[in-house]
Amino acid sequence: MSDSILKLEDVSYRYPDGTRALDSCSLTINRGTRTAVLGANGAGKTTMFLHLNGILRPSSGRVCWEETALDYSRGGMRKLRSRVGLMFQNPDNQLFSASVREDVSFGPMNLGLEEAIVRKQVEEALLAVGMTDSADRPVHNLSYGQKKRVCIAGVLAMRPEVLVLDEPMAGLDAAMQEELTVILERLHTSGMTIVIATHDLDYAYGWADEVIVLQSGRLLANGVPAEILLQEEVQNKLGAIPLVAEISRSLSLIGIDLRDKEYLPRSKSDLLKAIAAYTRLEATP
Amino acid sequence: MLTEQSAYTTRWRSVSPVAKGFFSLCGMVAAFAAGSPRTALLIALILSAATIFGAGIPAVRYLRVAAPPLLFLAASGLSLLVSLDFGSPTSAASLHLAESEFPRIAQVCSRSLACLTALLFLALTTPLSDIISLLRRCRLPDTLLDLMTLCYRTLFVLSEVVHETITAQSARLGYSTFTISLRSLGGLVTNLIVQVWQRSLTLHLAAQARNNDGALRFLENSFADSPRNISIAATAGGLTVLLAVMLP
Repeated sequence: MSDSILKLEDVSYRYPDGTRALDSCSLTINRGTRTAVLGANGAGKTTMFLHLNGILRPSSGRVCWEETALDYSRGGMRKLRSRVGLMFQNPDNQLFSASVREDVSFGPMNLGLEEAIVRKQVEEALLAVGMTDSADRPVHNLSYGQKKRVCIAGVLAMRPEVLVLDEPMAGLDAAMQEELTVILERLHTSGMTIVIATHDLDYAYGWADEVIVLQSGRLLANGVPAEILLQEEVQNKLGAIPLVAEISRSLSLIGIDLRDKEYLPRSKSDLLKAIAAYTRLEATP
Repeated sequence: MLTEQSAYTTRWRSVSPVAKGFFSLCGMVAAFAAGSPRTALLIALILSAATIFGAGIPAVRYLRVAAPPLLFLAASGLSLLVSLDFGSPTSAASLHLAESEFPRIAQVCSRSLACLTALLFLALTTPLSDIISLLRRCRLPDTLLDLMTLCYRTLFVLSEVVHETITAQSARLGYSTFTISLRSLGGLVTNLIVQVWQRSLTLHLAAQARNNDGALRFLENSFADSPRNISIAATAGGLTVLLAVMLP
């Protein structure tokens, strides 16, 4: 059963300089899902994210939280921003304090929570991203990946229901990407709804339950990655197809069908497993 | 950066900033209470010994941090000592050694030196974020402290930008001749101004996203056995002041 947590209804947004960043976008993000937002640079991903957190207000249309239109009053925003945590792409643009622990406490302190509760939530958030040991280090001595983790902790410390991450993998090396994937997976298992913007088609294909494809501010496609990312129009616009899907398709052309109950492998490890299983099947008479 | 490194790695990192701040304050009071240059120098010696041997700051690093302010002190001392005289009938201008002023200059310089060591003690043992929270407890205006917090953080972000820009400019021969260097420097400054402006906007967005509505609020670091540290610091500080008052 789908259970809408955030919804955009016919949302359009024009920046003050006249640029149309979103154009009649309607889409739904369901509770507990992993959603990947894809699109070229300037497609409107960041603008859409700023709407989810109530920083931007649609020029027309409306944004809903659990089917109710957002309340843009001070109190309403306070509630929304404690529920929807937003992390920006560049960590240096969002870390305020030079001390890790202080920065993570910024959000919960803004919520006006009691000090003991803030302290508890900060420690839990640091633990969730594996930064407890670095809590007393100055931010400027951390690596780029560690700074990103501090940013995530800063959002987690507010105990949001939805985590919105703008290109969390950008600029990270493979090992750090893997670490971040593990963190996101843990958060998803704990019931958090996660939305990320990414340029990495392969990642979106393997990770997401749903994908949203934006093109010049318009919604191009929205749905299950295995369907959406294999559509020809989407492939043309994104200029690529997930590598795993391409390999499976090429193999099927030469008669090797890796389908397991109508389900094609979505990640590299799935693909390798499917090939190994197929080879074993071929070997047994 | 050296000060910064020391503050984070000192043996006294976990000592309550209140204790360190109080001891530093006592040092400054003692510097002013000192009746003679000799006493002021003794206070300076005690404070630097506390920093080097107590907090474990390497002596070489201590001297490197102290060198620039010491140079200023030496320059001002010299300028007080020497006076330029334009009124002499024999020559257009002449230099005079103000010998009669010597005791007063010695007093001023030794006192400044003692104050400097007191400040160095605090700066080398306490990270700025702790000093800011200490000042917050002293009820300094929030606006001032928020500015300090942002400046301190932005200092590192911007120094990285400057470093990267200079590298990128040098890679394209931006500093090969004097004229080109000047032009590159102009470009660097312009770029920096635009970046500061853009970053202030994104920082504002990030603050809003985390529910901020004005003042920057953070959790203060808690320090384990601060009552004990504070009493030790108070005793040590009190003794220093007493020493300064008692000695001639």
